[in-house]
This record gives sequence, C-alpha cells and structure tokens, in this order.
Amino acid sequence: MLTEHTFAYVRVVALAALPRRDERSREHLDNTARHARPVVLARERVLAVPGPLGALLPGGAVQRGTVVAVDGDPGAGTTSVALQLAAAATAAGEWAAAIELDASLGGLAAGEAGVALERFAVVRRVPRARWAAVVAALLDGVSVVLAEVPAYARVGDTRRLLARARERGAVLVAMGPWPAEAALRLRAGGSVWRGLDAGAGVLVERDQRVHVDGRGAAARDHVALVEAG
Amino acid sequence: MAERIACLWCPAWPVVALRARDPTLCDVPVAVVERGERGLVVIAASTDAVAEGVTPGLRRREAEARCPGLTVAEADPQVEARAFERVARAVESFTPRFVLEEPGRLTFPTRGPSRYFGGDTAMAVRCLDAVRDIGITDARVGVADGGFAAVLAARAAEPDAAYVVPPGESSGFLAPWPVAVLEDPEPGEAAELADLLVRLGLRTLGAFAALPDGAVLGRFGSAGARAHQLARGDDEATASPAPPPPELVETAELDPPAVHVETAAFAAKALAERLMERLGALGLACTRVMIEAETERGERLTRCWRHEGALTPAALAARVRWQLEGWLTADGGEPNEGTADVSVDELATSGLVLLRLVPDEVLPATGRQLGFWGGDPAAADRAGRVLARVQGMLGHPAVVTAVPQGGRTPGERVRWVPWGDPREPARALEAVTAPGANAREVPPWPGAIPAPAPARVLEPPPPAELLDAAGEVVTVSGRGDPSAPPARLRCAALPGRGGEIAAWAGPWAHDARWWDRRARARRAYWQVLVAAPDGETIACLVAVIAGKAALEAIYD
Repeated sequence: MLTEHTFAYVRVVALAALPRRDERSREHLDNTARHARPVVLARERVLAVPGPLGALLPGGAVQRGTVVAVDGDPGAGTTSVALQLAAAATAAGEWAAAIELDASLGGLAAGEAGVALERFAVVRRVPRARWAAVVAALLDGVSVVLAEVPAYARVGDTRRLLARARERGAVLVAMGPWPAEAALRLRAGGSVWRGLDAGAGVLVERDQRVHVDGRGAAARDHVALVEAG
Repeated sequence: MAERIACLWCPAWPVVALRARDPTLCDVPVAVVERGERGLVVIAASTDAVAEGVTPGLRRREAEARCPGLTVAEADPQVEARAFERVARAVESFTPRFVLEEPGRLTFPTRGPSRYFGGDTAMAVRCLDAVRDIGITDARVGVADGGFAAVLAARAAEPDAAYVVPPGESSGFLAPWPVAVLEDPEPGEAAELADLLVRLGLRTLGAFAALPDGAVLGRFGSAGARAHQLARGDDEATASPAPPPPELVETAELDPPAVHVETAAFAAKALAERLMERLGALGLACTRVMIEAETERGERLTRCWRHEGALTPAALAARVRWQLEGWLTADGGEPNEGTADVSVDELATSGLVLLRLVPDEVLPATGRQLGFWGGDPAAADRAGRVLARVQGMLGHPAVVTAVPQGGRTPGERVRWVPWGDPREPARALEAVTAPGANAREVPPWPGAIPAPAPARVLEPPPPAELLDAAGEVVTVSGRGDPSAPPARLRCAALPGRGGEIAAWAGPWAHDARWWDRRARARRAYWQVLVAAPDGETIACLVAVIAGKAALEAIYD
C-alpha cells in the first residue's frame, strides 16, 4: 500500500515540474524519483540457478553483486560447477563471460552444460599483469563472470573486484584460490563416474560432490549433485 | 531526369584479385567460393572454368565435379578490396568523383569527364585505356541515366568495351531485363520481391514498370516502390539526397599514429558505431560514406563507398577496414608490374594520424523494427561494449566465442571465433548426403567421442605415458587393437603425476584424412579413470598420435 501511495506522489511532482526544463528542476525530479523508488530487498536481487546445483544453493540462487568462489583439485569438477552458473545467466537471457589464464575451457562442455554459446564470451590467455583490469571491465557489462584466479592474485585487487561486482550487480565466479571474502564458497569434491568399466562402456554420467559454504548454507555440506551427461 | 552515370565493372573480380596475389594460378581454372546458407557456393570463376560449366551459385563439390583440376579458394573481401584500390587510383586520374560500390565495381557521374573528353563514348574509351594500363583486360564500362541502368549497361557490354545507352532511353533499355536483376547485388528483401514478381507472371522489368505507382506501393511497400522506380529507369531517389548536416562527421585522432591496419581498423570500428548511433538517433540511414584519413606528413586520402540499402555499423566498419588495407598495405602483392610510380605519392607513406567518416548521402531510415523478444537490447549493448573494450586491451583475437562444428575429438568439435566475427562453423555439423541418396540416418562423424564432453581441453596436450601392468608402453596396432590393457597413466599435469587406471574404454582409432598424404594422421583415443592420491578418480581423455601419448582433455 505504502509503495502505491508514493508512486502517486511522484506522478504529481512530475506533472508539476515538467514545464520547467532547467537543470535544477530535473535534478530535483530525479532525486525525488530515487527516494520514492520502491525498496528492492536483497533477496530479490538474485540469479536463479536451475537444476541440481540450484537445489544445493541457499534459496536456489546466487546473489547478484557478490562473489562465488569455486575451488577444487584439478579433475574434481570445478569447471563443470562454474559452467552451470554461467548457464544460469544465459538461461535468463543475460550474458556470461569466462577469463582464462591459458586456453583450455571446453566449448562443447559449456554447450552441454546449457550455456547459450552466442551469449558466452571467453577471454583466453590473459596476461597476469592485466588480469584484474580485464575482470573489472567485464563486470561492467556482463551478468556472470567466470574468472580463473592466478596463483598469487593480490588481496587488494580481489577486494576491488569484490566492490566492483557489488556496484554493478554482477556475479563474479572466482575459480581457484580466492583470497578475499566470498558470499558463497563451493568446493568441488570429486565425482563418481558411471558407465566406464575395465575395457568396456563409455563415460555416461556422474555424481558430482559439491560442498557449499556460506550464509544460509550451513546445513548444506556434502550433498551429492547428480549430473547426467 | 536521372543523372548520367558511368559504371566500371571488372567481372569475376575475386578471381582477378586472387590471381594478382598468386600469379601461379594464372593458367589454371580457378573458382572462388563463399560460405552461404547452402554451404560453400561459387561466387566467381575464371573464364576457362566457366567454359567447363562452373557458374556462380554452384556448390563447391559440383563445381569440382564439372571441372577436374579446378583450384578452389575462399573469398577474401580484404584482398579483393586491396587489389581494387589500384583500379580506383587509375580512375582517379581522370575523375575524382567516383564511388566504390563493391570490390570490382565503381560508378561515377559522367557530366564533367564526358564534356572534357568529348562525349560519353570517348570518355568510356579513356576509362578502359586507364584500367588496361594497369593490366586489367576484361573491364567493361556502361553509361546510362541513373546508377541502376549503368550497372546493367556494364553487364551488357562486351569485354574491354563500352555500352552507352543514349540519354532518355534508359527505360527502353531496361524493359527486356528479367526482374531477377533487381535482387543484384545483395540478396535480401529484393530477392523475395523478384521471386514474388516472377510467380505473379511479371518476368521482365518492362512488365513490372507498366504497373501503376500507387498499386505497387500499396501491394509491395516502400521497398517495392523503390524497385519500381528503378525498373522504370527513374533513379532519382538516391541522386538528390539531402546534404547531411556537418555535425554528423565523426573524427578520431590517432595518437600514436596508426601504422598497422589492425590499430587503425580498431579505431575505425568504434568510429563507425558512433556514427551509426548518431544517425540512428536522428532517424537517418546512410547509403554512402566518405572515408578520409590524414597521415603524419600531412597527406590527405579520401575514398567514397556506397552500399545498396542502408549501411549497418558492421558493414561500414568492414568497408573502412578494406580501405585502410588499401592505404596502409603497400601495394597488395601485385605481380611484377610498374605500379610503383603510381603508388608512391598516392599511398600513405607514414602512419595515419586522423580518421574521419563523413556520411555523404543520408536518407530517412524506413526502419528496421527491433524484435519484441530475443533478450534485452540494452544488456546486449552493454555486453558488446565491454567485450569491445577488452578486445581493445588485449587485441581482437583474445576474446572468442565457441561455435560447435563437425569433428571427432572435443578440440575439433569447437571453433573459437573472435568476438564480433560471424559465428560460422568451419566444418559442417552433419555429414552431407547427396540429394536423392538413400536418406538413411547417417551418424555424422563416425568414431566421434560420445557425450559428455570434457570441460578442460588442454592445448597443447601435455605428454603422458600409458603403461600396462608390466610397465610397458601400451601401443595401438594399425587395426586399432591395443597391445595390452592399460594399467597406469603417468602425466605431469595430473595431481600426484598420474596413477592407477580404475576403468578404461577405447581405443577409438581414427585414420583421419587418409586420402591426403600430408594431413593424414592415425590417432587413437582412450577414456580412462585415473585414481588420484586422495582416493578420488579423475576422468581423462588420452590421445595417442603417431605412437606418442598425450593428455588431451580432463573431464573436470
């Protein structure tokens, strides 16, 4: 009710101020509009994650403007988990990008994870000296940025990226050791593969273990995520 | 009365440009192909190939079947535009007011030069002399009222000759042409129109021109009305455009001066986008643009490009890029000819310091309505801008996007295309079946590694060792049989430098491109589950190429 009331008020102000087209009245109008805007609760600014991974996340979504740190040993499933977050963005009609220190991301796997490839850009072989600048640039215009974190990323840089993500409402998915705070920490804990035998069969599907740690996720450790291939 | 226009046309220009670059192709039949909706399609062929029945529009495979020994090359508009810069310079020696329509064709108003040389015919002969001097022997010149009729007159001309349609007789000249010429040169709306007209029984321009104006506008819309004007020989709509307001000129100063095409083209891309955005805000579309550049030594270079229909930012950026190639690349590899004296004072002899785009001809945009769906255009804009910025920081090829394509291994099945380039696969996704063949479901790419795809494809693959229980290296025979079941994988890229193999499948053996001695590769692939030190298993794809094993991909 309260919000409706304020809307009506804004409209009256707008009508009264429109004939005066000078800078001051416009500024005043903008300020009024900003104050009167209905409140957006933090829990509404989220990116819904579909599928089994979403079921593990608090609220089935990741908060926009936060950092999600994804970590794990090589081969434990870090990339697959991160790609599912990118798929969540493109499924919502938004854009995703990945930043790689080398050039090893499997484009086919991204497509199979559900990423719309025409809205998914990959920046390959980023020089470490420009890493922070590239991540910051992408956070400006892309909803979900998957970034491989170099081994000796400076804490100052990562803090600045955290602030940039918050300011732009983008999700930064940090792959690798993330030295700053993160709203959500996912750890890929290996997977059980099915379909392959001694000399027979072929890899078909896997159970991917993901440990979820972060606010509202205390009870969600050690849950298995089934990922059908 | 439409303005008198001359059109200089060099047929099969892609072939001419290709032969200029590679003189060894001069005495073999050549066809240039372009990737279209139907796969690789011939867009131009040399005369000896045409004599064998290779015509534009033919699929590559059919062209090769008709003319054994045919050399097929992919179209490269940059090379074509660069080669055409020589022709442009030759024409510039007698008229400055010409307009490049596309590589291979330019038009210019005849009023000044014809009076100077004593008539259209004399002027056309002078024009042919000029291009013959630079080694182009089969150019044609057409002169008529209006650009459209001039282009067709050039098509009607004999090789190395001129066809002059007397003033006021353009409509009579146009009448017998089939309506299909309306779709020339860019297929699109006009192609649909021509197709529709044929189905309505209007097979010639004359028949179409005889329809009343109002009926054409009512039935076919503004595009149809424009085509109707062209068919009547009334080509005035574009001849008297409103002069664009001077504040539409977009200028970029390049500091440091751009010496490489890449640097200048990058600046030009942003410039083109800015120009189009401003024109769009005013409801204008641009059909002709002047590209101007200044060099460090104060030289000024100017060229005018025209486009059928309105230029899009990408099309404009491509044209600017072609032009910059022409200016900055010293004489694009012409064969042993005395062109050096022409080029020295014409080409940019130093870096470019200033780039300017002047919309030379603007029309009210009749509009491309944006779709109701297909995402948030503002978000797409924002993403496009930041990706362009990253390309500015790291170079154009650093930002890529994946395009699935045909192939067998995970690495082959994706083509990484620089952001902003057309998303086209290099190899077809499906095996092509001949028309009329038994339309059985053919599995495309037999022997492809089945899904799921690995999330990490290592490039280059780190060397690995696949060992059997006795510690010997596992080999794969020519028939695809392994010497022993694999038991251990050793690779420095894996945690614990590899480990025991818990399960495996394969080998999938391919004898890829066995018909090509140079590209032939015998490869075998294994899927293995390797035990990691912490008790987990890691799924890997191991390739054995020419007896050497390597870790191709990790199912991360």
